[in-house]
Order: sequence, then C-alpha cells, then structure tokens
Amino acid sequence: MMLIGLSRWGGGLLCMLLMVTLSVCSVEVYATEAADAWALLQKSAVAARTLSYQGVFICQTAHQTKSVQITHHFDGQSEFSRSLVLDGAPREMLSQSGDLVIYNPKNEKIMIEKRRGQNMFPAMLPANLDVIKNSYILQTGPLERVAGRQAQVLQLNPKDGLRYRYQFWVDTESALLLKSVMLNQRDEIMEMFAFNHFSKLDVVALDWFRPSIDHSKRYEMEKSEQLVTGRGETSHWTIKELPAGYRKVDQVVRLVQGKSALVTHVIFSDGLASVSLFIETVPKGVKVQNVLNTNGSTSFYASAHQGYLVTVLGEVPEATVVQIANAIVFNK
Amino acid sequence: MTEQISALIDDELSHEEVMRVMSNWQSSRQNVEAWGRYHLIGDAMRGSVSLSSDFKQNLMNKLELEPTVLAPSAHQEKSSKLIEFKEKMPRVWSMAASVAAIMLVGWMAMDQYVNSTDGFAVSSAMRGVVPETVVLTQPIPSEYLAAHHTLAPSASSYYVQTVSYAE
Repeated sequence: MMLIGLSRWGGGLLCMLLMVTLSVCSVEVYATEAADAWALLQKSAVAARTLSYQGVFICQTAHQTKSVQITHHFDGQSEFSRSLVLDGAPREMLSQSGDLVIYNPKNEKIMIEKRRGQNMFPAMLPANLDVIKNSYILQTGPLERVAGRQAQVLQLNPKDGLRYRYQFWVDTESALLLKSVMLNQRDEIMEMFAFNHFSKLDVVALDWFRPSIDHSKRYEMEKSEQLVTGRGETSHWTIKELPAGYRKVDQVVRLVQGKSALVTHVIFSDGLASVSLFIETVPKGVKVQNVLNTNGSTSFYASAHQGYLVTVLGEVPEATVVQIANAIVFNK
Repeated sequence: MTEQISALIDDELSHEEVMRVMSNWQSSRQNVEAWGRYHLIGDAMRGSVSLSSDFKQNLMNKLELEPTVLAPSAHQEKSSKLIEFKEKMPRVWSMAASVAAIMLVGWMAMDQYVNSTDGFAVSSAMRGVVPETVVLTQPIPSEYLAAHHTLAPSASSYYVQTVSYAE
C-alpha cells in the first residue's frame, strides 16, 4: 500500500518535472525561433543596402498600381540606385547613399526635387531593427515562391492597435526582401511591393547612374523656400505623452502650399511608420470643427486648441493620429 | 549637339572637339539652353545650392514694392505735418483708428486663410456674422499630404502620386 502510494507520488512528480522541462524547452524553442526570425529580418535590411541587383517590382496602394524598374549598386562604401516608374508619367529617382533626387514630370516641365530616401523598397526597413523590437512581434511563417525564387515568410505583428501589420517574403538565398505587404486591422492590403523578377548586378560601371533627359522639357528645381527655415518657436506648446513606441524625429518651420503664414511641422516615427503634425494659428472669427478621416492607409485628424489649428496625418491607424494630437499641450 | 555638350561638361571631349563645339555653340539658342539645363541637373546631383528659378522675378517684384522717393525733403515735411496732426487729434480718435486698423488686419488675415486653403472651405454667406465653420472638402487636404511626404515619405509615395500637382 505504502509502495503504491509512493510510486503514485513519484509518478506525479515525474509528470510535473516532465511538464516543467517541456514548457521550459518550448519557451526556449520559441525564444530561439523569434531570435532567428529577427536575425533573418536584420540580414534582409542589410542585404537591400549592400547587394548589387536589378529588377522590376510592382508598388500597389489602395488606389493605384505602378511598375518600377530598379538598379542598385553597392561599391563597398556608397550605394547607388536608380528607379524608373514604368507606368504613367516617367518619374525617375536617383539616389546616392540616401540622398535622393527625383525627376518629376509636371505638365510641360520636369521638377527636380531633393529628398532623404530612407525607406525605399526593398530597403524599406530601418538599418538597425532594435528601434522596432519593442513595438512589434516577429513570427516565422511558411516557405513560399515569389518572383521565381524561394522565400521565407515573416510576419511582423504590432503589439497594440497603434500601427499596421506587415508580412515580408525574404529570399532564402540572398536575404533580399522580395515582397512586402502592409495590412490594416481588418486585414485589408494598404500597401504592397513585390518583385516580378530580379537578378544580381555584376557590372561595376556606373554608366546607368544618370537621368534620361527629355530635350523637349524644361528642367526646374523645386522651390527651396518650401522647406526648412528653422526649428520654430515652441514656447507656447509642449509635447506630453506620445503613443507607445513613437518618438519625435524632426521639427521645422515651413511654408505649406497655398498658405501664407508659416506652419510648424513636427515629425514622429515608430521606426517604420511616420506621422506629421502641423501647428498653425487660426485667424480670429474662424471656427474649426474637429475632423477625423481615413483615406487608404492615411489617417487625418484636425482639431483646434486655444486659437491654434493642430493637424496630424500619417500612414497609421486613426487612434495614433488622435493620440499624437492630444499629446500637444498648449500653455495657458 | 546636345550629347556633345553633355560630354563637354563631363570632360570627355578631345581638344579639337572642344574647339569645334565652342565655335558652333552660340549659333543656336537650344545649345545655350542645353548647357544651362545640364549644369542644373549636375548641381542637383552634387547637392550644390542654386538660386531659385524665380529669383529674378521675386527681386523685380520686391523692387516694385519699394516706394519711389522723388523729393526726399518734401516727403520729410509731410511726415512731420502728420505728427503735428496726430498730436492735435483727440485721444479717442486715435483709439478708434487703432481699432479700425486691427479690424482691417483681421479681415485681411481671414481672407488670406479662406482663399489659401485648398482642402478647407468656408461658407462665405456666413462670413463676419457668426464664427466661421471650416468644412473639409477633401477627405485629406492635399497640401498637408504633400508637406508630409516631402519630409516623411511613405514607402509608396516615392512612386505613387496621391497629390494632384496643380500649379
């Protein structure tokens, strides 16, 4: 009787021990899997910048689809890339290590615009993924075929409702991002990029790194006055609690098309998505109604506070633009 | 010829070719334009700062706004007369003038606001009667979206133009 009792106890203990060991193992396996997934995505973020390749990808939003031809070269120090939009107006982009020049056909002219190109497909992920690790969970999916190549599916799920969900297809051979999809809370595709075909670029010559010039068009530089004119006066308002994961990345005072007065423009980012906040004075006698709208992936919120119009917009859910607007506190 | 001009800028022509291009050069207005255009593109690629395209027009406009002083001494006399007049004026009058000035500035600012906003429209019948209500005419005003994408472009905004680039 005693023996049976003991053996029962022993059996129970053994079972418990086994369960504990198993759960520890599964936690470890899960942790290793997550670490492997992050390592692969990090490799992919680097590959898009340090490989030399060419190909055609499609870019699809809620409203439009465009095919883009890309040539990218890395010489060990600098990145050179040329992208040409193949559908509609022949918009062309030349980028050298993030300094982007856009040749934008506009009626009878070609506008030359300068930008910082930091998130262009396939180099759309931040170079260091640590900035997004607190806001998203990364999971490994199945192997799928994209652009005739084998790709590992990775799912980047937000930890809250303040950002969109992503799915990535990473080339198992080169780690280059072959396809990327951004989805909203209702699983509708907000933005998609996918290579139709891509190949490695073996040539070292940079003869392709020049814009194709249309002799019948006039070339004009974009007015620089539309951009930065200073950091602006911030004494009358402060930024209190921002939504989780978002931080301020830039602040300028600028002209906005069609407005005569200067507008303060503040930019926030969670590492993937960007949000703009504009602060301007509301003329006396004008009453502003609060407006909340969504169009495709872009959310827009305008509200008035003590004679100021606060406008927030970005490729984020509505909750994020409202929270960012509410984070601005005006001094009495 | 335009290819030769491009090659000339890139320093890819022999001495003889340079001499030939230079001698033919001013015969055509197109060549001069091409020279300017290629330099503009080169400057943009190198990141050099250039004057804005309408610099001359802006300068001329500003000169237009400057008062033309034909007789400086007469002008001075006038302004001193104005000070005298102001001193004689009752205090209440100057108060009234100030209020009028503020009202004028207010109207001008509001007019500018009403005219300037593409995405916002104000019902003009209501103007000046009760506080104006700004109503949105587009889901997202294009001027804000364009401003957002110049400094914080989304991955698709490089290729897909959501903003109408009206002049």
